[in-house]
Amino acid sequence: MRAQEVLEALKEKLGDKLRSPELKVEEIGHRRIRERGFLWAEIEREDLLEAVRALKELGPLHISIISGADVGEKIELIYHFAVGYGTPDGEVMVNLRLTVPKDDPVVPSICSVLPGALTTEREKIEFLGLEFSGIPDARKIFLPDDLEAHPWRKDEPELSQYVRYTVAWEAKKDERGEARA
Amino acid sequence: MKEVRLEPEEMSEKKLEKTCPTCFEVPIGPIHPALKEGIRFTFWVEGEKIKKVDIRPGFMHRGIEFMGTKRNLVQLIYLAERICGICSVSHPLALVQAVEAAAGIEVPPRAQYIRVIIGELERIHSHLLWAGVAAHELGFDTLLHYVWKVREPVLDLLEDITGNRIDYAIPIYGGVRRDIPPEKYPKLKDALRYYRSLVDDFVNFFLRDPSIEARTRDVGILTREEADVLCAVGPTARASGLRKDVRQDWPYFTYPDLEVKALTPEDMGLEVRGDVYDRIVVRLLEVVQSIQIIERCLEEMPEGEITSVPKVAALLAQLKKAEGEGIGRHEAPRGEVIHYIRLEADKEAPVVWKVKAPTYSNFMPWFPMFEDQEIADIPIVAASIDPCICCMERVYLVRGEREEVVWKEELLKLSREKTKRVASRLARHAPWGRKG
Repeated sequence: MRAQEVLEALKEKLGDKLRSPELKVEEIGHRRIRERGFLWAEIEREDLLEAVRALKELGPLHISIISGADVGEKIELIYHFAVGYGTPDGEVMVNLRLTVPKDDPVVPSICSVLPGALTTEREKIEFLGLEFSGIPDARKIFLPDDLEAHPWRKDEPELSQYVRYTVAWEAKKDERGEARA
Repeated sequence: MKEVRLEPEEMSEKKLEKTCPTCFEVPIGPIHPALKEGIRFTFWVEGEKIKKVDIRPGFMHRGIEFMGTKRNLVQLIYLAERICGICSVSHPLALVQAVEAAAGIEVPPRAQYIRVIIGELERIHSHLLWAGVAAHELGFDTLLHYVWKVREPVLDLLEDITGNRIDYAIPIYGGVRRDIPPEKYPKLKDALRYYRSLVDDFVNFFLRDPSIEARTRDVGILTREEADVLCAVGPTARASGLRKDVRQDWPYFTYPDLEVKALTPEDMGLEVRGDVYDRIVVRLLEVVQSIQIIERCLEEMPEGEITSVPKVAALLAQLKKAEGEGIGRHEAPRGEVIHYIRLEADKEAPVVWKVKAPTYSNFMPWFPMFEDQEIADIPIVAASIDPCICCMERVYLVRGEREEVVWKEELLKLSREKTKRVASRLARHAPWGRKG
């Protein structure tokens, strides 16, 4: 599948909901030159499920990861999908960018379409303090159950306290007679 | 298709008591100082059968992504290298691709070939390590020692080429840090010939052994549909019949020149069943494939520069000015690795760095694999996806007020006893077993 085809199919299905799409095609290889495509686009959270369904219809769909960042007033998520595995040079990376305000950090869960996304969604809940509506399992996955801070948020006083506490605890190892690792 | 259950809360103890009053809860893990990775499995078992599993990772979370945003980009390579001790070149290879894409740095062809060679040598040693672990979990310690003995030459070779047995410190933005001089080609070729000569032995030991077949056939099945919707990666996905391999699907380095194909058990003329046996088949096929790739690289590798920015100070200055975001992907021995990075001008550290390791994707496929398996099969099913395993420190049996501790050794004993039982049954029934 070519990146151009993915873009056209998505535009047809989503219309204006797919905002500022940007196509990047790179040439790879020395003897046999092959193209690989990246598609970057922005999308509103209301249209996310529709976009994922459209991608699933295009071909075998794999979600690599959802990356996220605290960008001031908002939280930015990027869904990194790979569409069309199984054929040589046939995969296109589709990166959908989504921003949600911090006072209403609710995103629809895509587990109903792609159950494999559960691990990465659970990770975003604990690291960024997001909520996924309709997620089948919202328990903690990587962080301790009793940690209330969200490590990737830049506005959390609890977290800085936790970091200070840990640093101080490490520094007191000598006093406690524990050898430094 | 087996139902893919995603609601562990629904199977809470209360509900289980109603639906399955004879179920026992068996937590396994999480940690022991000697283990590489801590992870807690909670099994609900009825008799010997596993009815439900819940898995809780997180005991080894080191906050590496957070640490990465406090370091400059060159330091970041060596931090990424320490994410995994076994596939230690996979993370730097994905990271350098991401940063090169973000900062627009070119890589000379020879450097790309060297990256491929190191990556494939790593695949050979990682798959051999896994084969040894699998043999150990089944109770074949002789095979474990044999496999790990023949794994040594590839580690020696890596040491000879890079200076280190693991954590090779080879990739750098814009190329690699050490060349493979032509004087070293004969040594590489000798090692590849040695591994080629062992392939028949491996097929005999692993695939034609009746007890290994009895212990792994139709155990820990992951169907094609489950592997697809749960986004399995690497040999785990390929053993379920999905032709999914980053080297084939998404061209990077010189892999398009080398015409790599995703291998499934069909390539050996076998029917795909998606069980542990198929995962052994795929890994053995991939060892042969890696040998072929390296041989072809040695033939085709052009002369030339090994890095486009040889001076680290100049590189750091260039990276400091860079602004943008990039993605790097690599097919590690265990599956897809992806790094996402965002750089801002005048900042030495990345603003966002997100890492995904293969076991992260193969976490969900574990759930259907464990269902309806026996307790004695837990070690081999858990090991079959090749996680950075060794979480089976002990089993804690909890039922009402009765508590009982079962150690890892006992779990292994259970597994070994099963192999013994299976082997003696086979010996009774097989034609070569009937003596007199």
